[in-house]
Amino acid sequence: MARDPEVGQAVHACPLSCLGSAPWFSVGGLAGEHRLGHADGGARLMRPILRRAQSLAALLAILLLAAITSPVASDGSRIFLEIGNLTDILRQISLIGMISLAMTFVILTGGIDLSVGSTLALSTALTAMGLTRLWPTASYGSHIALAIAMAVALSTLAGALNGVAIATLRVQPFIVTLASMIGLRGLAKWLTDNENIDIGFGRDVAARFAELFREKAIVIGAFAGAAAGFWILLDRTVFGRHVRAIGDNEKAAEYTGLPIRRTKVWVYSLTGLLAGIAGVLYAAENHQGNPNAGVAYELDAIAAVVIGGTRLSGGKGSISGTIVGTLIMGVLTNMLRLNNVDSNVEMMIKAVIIVLAVAVQRETNR
Amino acid sequence: MPDSLFEAAHVDKHFGGVAALRGASLEVRAGEVHALMGENGAGKSTLARIVAGAVRADRGSFRVDGQPAAIASPPDAQRLGIGIIHQELDLFPNLSAAENMVIGNLCFREGPWARFRQMEAFCRPFLEQVGLTCSAREPAASLSIGQRQLLAIARALSMNARLLLMDEPTSSLFDDAVERLFGLIRGLRSRGVSVVYVSHKMDEIFRICDRVTVLRDGQTVGTRDAASTGSGELIRLMVGRELDLSSGPRPRVRGDVAMEVEDLGTSLLRNVSFTLHRGEVLGIAGLVGAGRSELGAALFGLDPIVSGRVKLGGAALSARSPREAMRRGIGLVPEDRRTEGLMMSMSVRENASLATLGRMQRLGFLRGARERGELRTVAGQLALHCPSTETCVSHLSGGNQQKVLLARWLLLHPQVLFLDDPTRGIDVAAKQDIYRIIEELAAAGKAVMLVSSELPELLRCCHRILVLREGRVTAIYDAEEATQEKIMASATLAEAHA
Repeated sequence: MARDPEVGQAVHACPLSCLGSAPWFSVGGLAGEHRLGHADGGARLMRPILRRAQSLAALLAILLLAAITSPVASDGSRIFLEIGNLTDILRQISLIGMISLAMTFVILTGGIDLSVGSTLALSTALTAMGLTRLWPTASYGSHIALAIAMAVALSTLAGALNGVAIATLRVQPFIVTLASMIGLRGLAKWLTDNENIDIGFGRDVAARFAELFREKAIVIGAFAGAAAGFWILLDRTVFGRHVRAIGDNEKAAEYTGLPIRRTKVWVYSLTGLLAGIAGVLYAAENHQGNPNAGVAYELDAIAAVVIGGTRLSGGKGSISGTIVGTLIMGVLTNMLRLNNVDSNVEMMIKAVIIVLAVAVQRETNR
Repeated sequence: MPDSLFEAAHVDKHFGGVAALRGASLEVRAGEVHALMGENGAGKSTLARIVAGAVRADRGSFRVDGQPAAIASPPDAQRLGIGIIHQELDLFPNLSAAENMVIGNLCFREGPWARFRQMEAFCRPFLEQVGLTCSAREPAASLSIGQRQLLAIARALSMNARLLLMDEPTSSLFDDAVERLFGLIRGLRSRGVSVVYVSHKMDEIFRICDRVTVLRDGQTVGTRDAASTGSGELIRLMVGRELDLSSGPRPRVRGDVAMEVEDLGTSLLRNVSFTLHRGEVLGIAGLVGAGRSELGAALFGLDPIVSGRVKLGGAALSARSPREAMRRGIGLVPEDRRTEGLMMSMSVRENASLATLGRMQRLGFLRGARERGELRTVAGQLALHCPSTETCVSHLSGGNQQKVLLARWLLLHPQVLFLDDPTRGIDVAAKQDIYRIIEELAAAGKAVMLVSSELPELLRCCHRILVLREGRVTAIYDAEEATQEKIMASATLAEAHA
């Protein structure tokens, strides 16, 4: 680990700015170090680009493979390449994708959040309850808004509580979120008496909600918006810099006076927020508030983050990587399903892909 | 070549795109102490680690006793009788001394079960040989740094090492432990063990080394007999130019009182009192564990203050966190730059600006131009050498890493700066830069506290020197009256200043 080149850095370090700042930096430099700096300048500038291209190359390879193996429709076109199928993929990855974005931040701080699946279930159940059991007199618009606001607010609160426990009690994130994974699942089931709360197909408010929020444009738009927001947050804000610094070296962050606790509470709150939003969309998509929803979502999210090149011990990683990681998993799933591969076999293939993806990145980062 | 125990030739090594070694060579005779010198990033440590199998060379040939040898892993080196004492000791803190010695030791046959009695019997002669008096069951974490180093040496000896590489062994030792180490090295030499001694410290090299090999920019520039070579020549070989090592004049502009500490007590400190003036450099001397770092930790809000008072610029200071201390104008450059200071996978720019992001943002968004602009100024002041501001700090040499850390604190413009052993393990040229910066800070009216294990350094830089022993102040000397002997006496003897 002593010599670990700047993987995650690639995203943040604009190659052009390196060029711009090189000349003045060698002022008074010793001859030797000077030379070291310039002899390999070209290679150094190229490497981050190549490294980025590499995860993209993996994605392109899988896309190509999916296109080649795709079944052909009666009119001769490849089903995989149909716009409908491609947007289906995006819709399918949107929920896990949103959770993965927030999970990237958590993992960057050196933490982990196992409770996102349970938070999603809680949010789904709360949304359905809000729509079918609460506020019977409200107008459609405000009824829907209230139900969503309640679900998202309580999910965010659950995340914030995770953050507070991790930051102030100094219990490991794994333990805290393992506990809340169990506890929030219990809460969701208790609130719904272990039942699915169905959202009907009629003309009531719940049906209108589902109709609207299962639109591809809304679901994919939510993911795209969150992705853009988190990208900016990580790369362009003080908060994002703090997140990476804390994960890189928490002790040094303390010695530098960074707001470690506040940052962590925010990071886990954001996970709660996005899991909550994903839960609302889940309710619309499935026409029900299911307290058993989202099982193992945390693992899918972690897999996407890790495939995207984020270091599990924190400090290094990128949102672009996570987006690519999510896309790789989504395209892979779609490809296997189009070819009628047994879903159990699908899991086995994914297992291999996860390990390979991370191993290849480690290899080239040497 | 007669008596040649070990030879390395044409060794190349790249880390990423950076060439650490380019055709380096080293030849060690049996029973000699051989110094390996060079500036930061010259490749000394890399070469030592390659010889010990800890790092694999891209290219290079090795001969042991004239026979070609392959060194690709630590066990390979062990079989050839090569042992290494790393600068950052590679002990398992929670394992006992004996367990640390037998783990991975090819000379001790381990079965599937731990055999504690055999282990201890195996270890005892080596522990005695290095003069380590602790119990073999003591966990490594409870030993002092000096003792841990002896344990690492005992481990290497128990592996039948004929060639012992020591990477900056005295960088964290105080003078008395250094003397013990030198005695041990001389003893090893008389038994025919060769020692490769990696160091920056000129005086040490002339005291114990027979020959010196100098590296510059990853290349071997020469090997000399220590006895017939002057320090000027070695420095010329190392940097390719002359350096003025004599202490320059230190104009002393002592201003108002910057900080008053009265009867300060923490878990380790007892009744510490002193006054610090603006424009003054106050040295903090003492043995390891005397409370030097703890003093900084208390002032910087890292350790709770149990008793006493601290006044900063006339007003009481009771910092309960570094953030509060920083807001009041106190900065602290910690002792261990890798674990307490730098974010090792972040860039030079990101590391330097970390404490001052508050003024490099607008509505939470970073202002890259401002960040780069401020860094440019301070980097010039520090003579920071790096390929670009976007270089990852892990690619920099120790001295430049330390400068990045200093840049972080200079950007904060603190009124009081506590420097905890800032020159530890860095080369002479970088040290000179840091001395110059300390002088400039003092001249600009800042108050500086400087902790150091090297007494000449304190005498070179400080206007006054405060000596700690077991958490108490045993003496405060003015620069004119201070000598190494007096400071050592105050640091070690209870009765000297009772």
